[in-house]
Amino acid sequence: MAKVASGVDFRPLKLGGQVLKQHRDAVLHTSRETGHYAGLIRMDLKEKEPILYNKVFSRLRAGVVNARETAKRIAASPIVEQEGELCFTLYNPVGDSLMTSTGIIIHVGTMGAAIKYMIENGWEENPGIRPGDIFTNNDCLLGNVHPCDVHTIVPIFWEDQLVGWVGGVTHVIDTGAVGPGSMTMGPVQRFGDGYQVTCRKTGENDRPLRDWIHESQRSIRTTRYWLLDERTRIAGCHMIRDLVLDLIAEVGIDRYMRFAYEVIEDGRRGLIRRIRSLTVPGTYRGVAFVDVGYAHPDVNVPPYAKVDTIMHAPHEVTIRPDGTWKLDFDGSSRWGWHSFNAQPVSFTSGIWVMMTQTLIPTELINDGAYYATQFRLPKGTWQNPDDRRTAHSYSWHFLVSAWSALWRSLSTAYFARGYLEEVNAGNANTSNWLQGGGFNQYNEIHAVNSFEAASEGTGATAVKDGLDHAAAIWNPEGDMGDMEIWELAEPLIYLSRNVKANSGGYGKYRGGCGYETLRMVHNAKDWTMFFMGNGYMSSDWGLMGGYPAATGYRFEAHGTDLKQRIEQGLPLPLGPDADPDHPGYEQKMQAQSVRRDKQTMTTETIFENYDLYLNYLRGGPGFGDPIERDPEKIEADLNGNYLLPRYAEKVYGAVIYQDEEGRWHVDREATRERRQAIRQERIQKSRPTREWMQEERERILRKEASVQVRHMFATSFQLSPKFLEEFKRFWNLPEDWNLIEDELEAATFGAHHRMSVEQLPDVKRLVLVEE
Amino acid sequence: MTSRIQVLGIDAGGTMTDTFFVDTDGNFVVGKAQSTPQDESVGLVNSSVDALAQWHLTVEDVFPQLVTAVYSGTAMLNRIVQRKGMRVGLIVNRGMEDFHRMGRSVQSYLGYSYEDRLHLNTHRYDPPLVPRELTFGVTERVDMFGQVVIPLREQEAYEAARQLVSHDVEGIVISFLHAYKNPAHERRVRDIVLEVVRASGKNIPVFASSDYYPVRKESHRTNTTILEAYAAEPSRKTLVRINERFKQYGARFDLRVMASHGGTISWTAKELARTAVSGPIGGVIGTRYLGEQLGYRNIAATDIGGTSFDMALVVQGQFTIQHDPDMARLVLSLPLVQMDSVGSGAGSYVRIDPYTRAIRIGPDSAGYRVGVCWRESGVETVTVSDCHVVLGYINPDNFLGGQIRLDVERARAAIEEQIARPLGLSVEEAAAGVIELLDTRLRDHLRAMISGKGYHPSEFVCFSYGGAGPVHTYGYTDGLGFQEIIVPAWAAGFSAFGCAAAEFEYRYDKSLDINVAPDADAAERLEAVEELQSAWMELAEKVIEEFRLNGYAADQVTLLPGYRMMYRGQLNDLEIESPLGRLETAEDWNVLTDAFENTYARVYAKAARSPELGFTITGAIMRGLVDSVKPRIPEEAYGGITPPPQAHRGQRPFYFRKGWVKADVWDMDTLRAGNQIQGPAIIEAPATTFVVPPGWVTTLDAHRLFHLKRVE
Repeated sequence: MAKVASGVDFRPLKLGGQVLKQHRDAVLHTSRETGHYAGLIRMDLKEKEPILYNKVFSRLRAGVVNARETAKRIAASPIVEQEGELCFTLYNPVGDSLMTSTGIIIHVGTMGAAIKYMIENGWEENPGIRPGDIFTNNDCLLGNVHPCDVHTIVPIFWEDQLVGWVGGVTHVIDTGAVGPGSMTMGPVQRFGDGYQVTCRKTGENDRPLRDWIHESQRSIRTTRYWLLDERTRIAGCHMIRDLVLDLIAEVGIDRYMRFAYEVIEDGRRGLIRRIRSLTVPGTYRGVAFVDVGYAHPDVNVPPYAKVDTIMHAPHEVTIRPDGTWKLDFDGSSRWGWHSFNAQPVSFTSGIWVMMTQTLIPTELINDGAYYATQFRLPKGTWQNPDDRRTAHSYSWHFLVSAWSALWRSLSTAYFARGYLEEVNAGNANTSNWLQGGGFNQYNEIHAVNSFEAASEGTGATAVKDGLDHAAAIWNPEGDMGDMEIWELAEPLIYLSRNVKANSGGYGKYRGGCGYETLRMVHNAKDWTMFFMGNGYMSSDWGLMGGYPAATGYRFEAHGTDLKQRIEQGLPLPLGPDADPDHPGYEQKMQAQSVRRDKQTMTTETIFENYDLYLNYLRGGPGFGDPIERDPEKIEADLNGNYLLPRYAEKVYGAVIYQDEEGRWHVDREATRERRQAIRQERIQKSRPTREWMQEERERILRKEASVQVRHMFATSFQLSPKFLEEFKRFWNLPEDWNLIEDELEAATFGAHHRMSVEQLPDVKRLVLVEE
Repeated sequence: MTSRIQVLGIDAGGTMTDTFFVDTDGNFVVGKAQSTPQDESVGLVNSSVDALAQWHLTVEDVFPQLVTAVYSGTAMLNRIVQRKGMRVGLIVNRGMEDFHRMGRSVQSYLGYSYEDRLHLNTHRYDPPLVPRELTFGVTERVDMFGQVVIPLREQEAYEAARQLVSHDVEGIVISFLHAYKNPAHERRVRDIVLEVVRASGKNIPVFASSDYYPVRKESHRTNTTILEAYAAEPSRKTLVRINERFKQYGARFDLRVMASHGGTISWTAKELARTAVSGPIGGVIGTRYLGEQLGYRNIAATDIGGTSFDMALVVQGQFTIQHDPDMARLVLSLPLVQMDSVGSGAGSYVRIDPYTRAIRIGPDSAGYRVGVCWRESGVETVTVSDCHVVLGYINPDNFLGGQIRLDVERARAAIEEQIARPLGLSVEEAAAGVIELLDTRLRDHLRAMISGKGYHPSEFVCFSYGGAGPVHTYGYTDGLGFQEIIVPAWAAGFSAFGCAAAEFEYRYDKSLDINVAPDADAAERLEAVEELQSAWMELAEKVIEEFRLNGYAADQVTLLPGYRMMYRGQLNDLEIESPLGRLETAEDWNVLTDAFENTYARVYAKAARSPELGFTITGAIMRGLVDSVKPRIPEEAYGGITPPPQAHRGQRPFYFRKGWVKADVWDMDTLRAGNQIQGPAIIEAPATTFVVPPGWVTTLDAHRLFHLKRVE
């Protein structure tokens, strides 16, 4: 044991040949053999010099956070500056992260994967890794979330030896994809997904190379944002590099290097202790779905991509008594011809974004958590595509939906352990994404992506309602920003910004409500926009009787008479689309065409000035049975326009009335009786599970389900014989029962022919999860 | 006493009210008393009595002599935090009636620690200042260029006004989108509301956002304007009461109030919301003033109290102004002296994280309850003060001048159980480790704050003050390489001193959008400077008008113009004091951009300069000040290196770097200018303990400033 533990040499690395690769092999080998990161069974520095260890930690932590705060002020993009969509992370030589700033911390892993890819693919020898180098990466095939997250990676050398890396990432506003906007709709293959760069050396001697600056600006739409975003990333990386070198000068190189590995083992143990104290061991299973509605006239994609389907993400979380755990996503559906595919790194790394909001809200967030967790993401699934053509520009559509179920499983574990305050019934599907482009109010080529979506309703807890219009699953510090700032960035005038009634899921504690903004196109030329979000399905479910949040819908109006109505002083569509079942906007204007439906994913549509676009940001799911909700809360919801009166009656079982001033009240006694009656009705409607299952089984045998459902299951069955077997066993189906894509009335490109990236010459694919 | 006592500074904090009296020779006394939030004037008089007793004088003797007094208090802030303000009505764009109650998502975690910012389930909103049912919409829209998109529908304004009047509101605020750019609609609605109010026979004040804070970002601007109606007017009553109390004791001056921009304004000023944050910035103003008097241009101001460590930089005699700060969990649009705060102070709790075994200091604190060492406090978790007591840093029998007795053994037992044993350390090692860790953390933040603004500590003198500052001065400055480290003898009353040292100064800001391309011709540059010049003139009128109300003529007012600039397309600007007092030619534009680029390169990095994008002026600033009487800095004759024997109070054991040493204990007030004290030593005053560890030496100068230096 001791021999293995001493197998890793923690000295800085003099590069040349295969030094880095050999070092990474040693770290991985000893980690595997000992069960401790880099074989660190003992953490000598932490144990012998605890004060110094804490000091080094606090110093680096303050440094990375400060670098982010300072550097972000350089940016022009409100996505970076106002929404904080940037992050800086410090790595050790093998690309494992020590420390990260706040922000989009999903990239703790994605930038690390880029470093590891360089190590595994011989960058040390060609193009070489030298002091002053700058590398740029946004390649989704290496694990990046989507092309708009652009990484700047800088090696850190102490004298002439490598001591680590620093990475900076910003979410840029456009990447030159087939459509404008950072997460555009429309690409169905990588080749339309935006300009992608693979760990390319783009700078030397701390300066970007001119060919890179020219080429990259020609490849994207919004050059000013691009330029200032890059300066933001470089400035932040250099601040952190300077900090590390100062620290080494102070504490000595040996201690720093020791720290750079021990802190990861520390992070690993920290997660395990948290899991042990907050959860109950056992197996937790859940599933998530979300809609892909591509067979619609407003989705302009090639014929093989015009498929309506559903994302399928079953999971099994196994928490062992020792606090280690395994997350298995066996049974997930296949990747597809849309831009919602993900990569194992973005999937696993993104999980930490969520965990840090409940399980580990501490300063110690690093790759230790990865080493404490076993992931299984079968190859070929949407989380681990086995084809090099996949598009990823809005992988969050699937990611947030899949994680919502994971959040419910964890919440079940917290609930079991008694941490009711930590329960979160899921989380909102973070959409709609208002995107588009053309010529803006300054007569420049422009693209927009409104990050109003960084603020959604949150899930209810087991002790209180979710927060209204408050955060995004990927950013607890999300914010909707000021309207006056968005109007600087977008040629779209606000006609409303208001709470969206009924958008939060009902429950004893309701989900937080989302909100909506109505935008009128103003001062734009040659302008297009599109919608992106869930519409036909709820991607969050609610917990323990709580309802899912409302799904999305689309409202857009073209060729309106608003110009004349404004001139003539006639009523205008201002304020909420209060009750979409009884549309109000249409009463206050004439339009050549209005689209009001559940088709919430569309490709570019032409918008003229005075056209309208409704941006509806979703609510969060509820917790507990709605008929247990406190009548006082129902009154507050009604009077605050968070709830439409007929739902107070229908879902909450409340008997309500209005006083002469129009204020709503709940009749307590009548409500108690009504709720009693609802309980009776429920009992009468219910039937034995076995009976119901028998009926369902017959439907399965007849394959009586919509093509979307059958397509989803067919892809899952093809990828996982285990899942198929389990399905058959559960429903007691005949041994030879199966459902395959060729049976379906849908295009089947990708069902039989796929080619993965490692089949390219000289490419070594990085495998970081069990497949 | 032959000299007159002219100046009084008051810092009425949450728990203590500090007063600082200074005479024409620079002699001073510091007074302390419990704050009295119900009637702040009581605590103020008590604190004054405490201070003047040191001179054997009474308030009746002294108040009539005073020429000026500056007040800073927390009453308004408390009123906001506790939501105990006026019943205010709000008129906004029709369709946007929800935006104020929605707030901004950021308001759900403002003021949180790093951990809780991540921890979603801890986030919560405070109730809005104006409830939704008192918010009314009026149809109009103006775009970002100031162009009218939807003309104002006046009949809706009449209707909204009538509704609000009938709801018995006590103030009405009007805030329309982009009104900072084109205020015509807002002002028309203001006049309509005034007309309706007059017709009703009621007396309800009306506030249009463009009249008060004409700057971009509607959440910030609206919150701030609401605060004028919600909290500032009631606070004016507090100031009236304080003023009356002074008059009662024969005072003949008019009270001035510390404002967020670092100047003082009259209690009769139109915009009083900007006095809501004032206490902590007093120290920064005091730092600038003391620096001015002594010739220090670059100073790092550091202040440790019971709950936080506050830092600010004075560069070339100026502090930095922040434009959209937050306060009381609200985003605001006030100019605020920039300070960086860390939630670590002498009262901070110390714990071992059960999961990672890391030592955690703060963010919560025992505040005035000191720690486990004060038996009566009810505190059971170890605090930083407990570590001080165990290590002999502070005198358990002389805490707050002996008002509280501290129990060393109680502190020892708690540290042993909660910190030392889990870490496998002795009590002393653990306590010293906590202090060392706190010092390091403060040092790291101080270093990060300075380097984050593009400087290095070697360009600065460091001032250390606050109740707990001098205990940690050596620790958080060690190794940073400051030119000098200075601890004023009046460290405990430094913020009150700073208030008294503030200028009588008004400041107004206005948002602009002046875009100039890199290749702009002379005509375009001329147009740009003319627009800025005309904004300056508009603001200068407002400044002069305020002074006129206080009896000053225009020629007594010194005007200092400034501007905010950025590269085109950016979202963050920098505030630049204008190198030119008046703009006339196209060439002047280049002077403005050069000044901006020099600052930019320093703050971010040369490589981040982007002149190829062109420049934007985002705001005009006008500051105006008139002469005012300020505290005199003490000036004593030198008394030699050796301290007088009567200053020596004996010795006590003191733990430093893994061992106990005997430290000399000195009485601060008895030390003479020129005296030099070798560490290990502890210098005590009633409200301050100054630690000089082994290997350090301090010298008292003629201005009663201790200069601390490491000698080995």
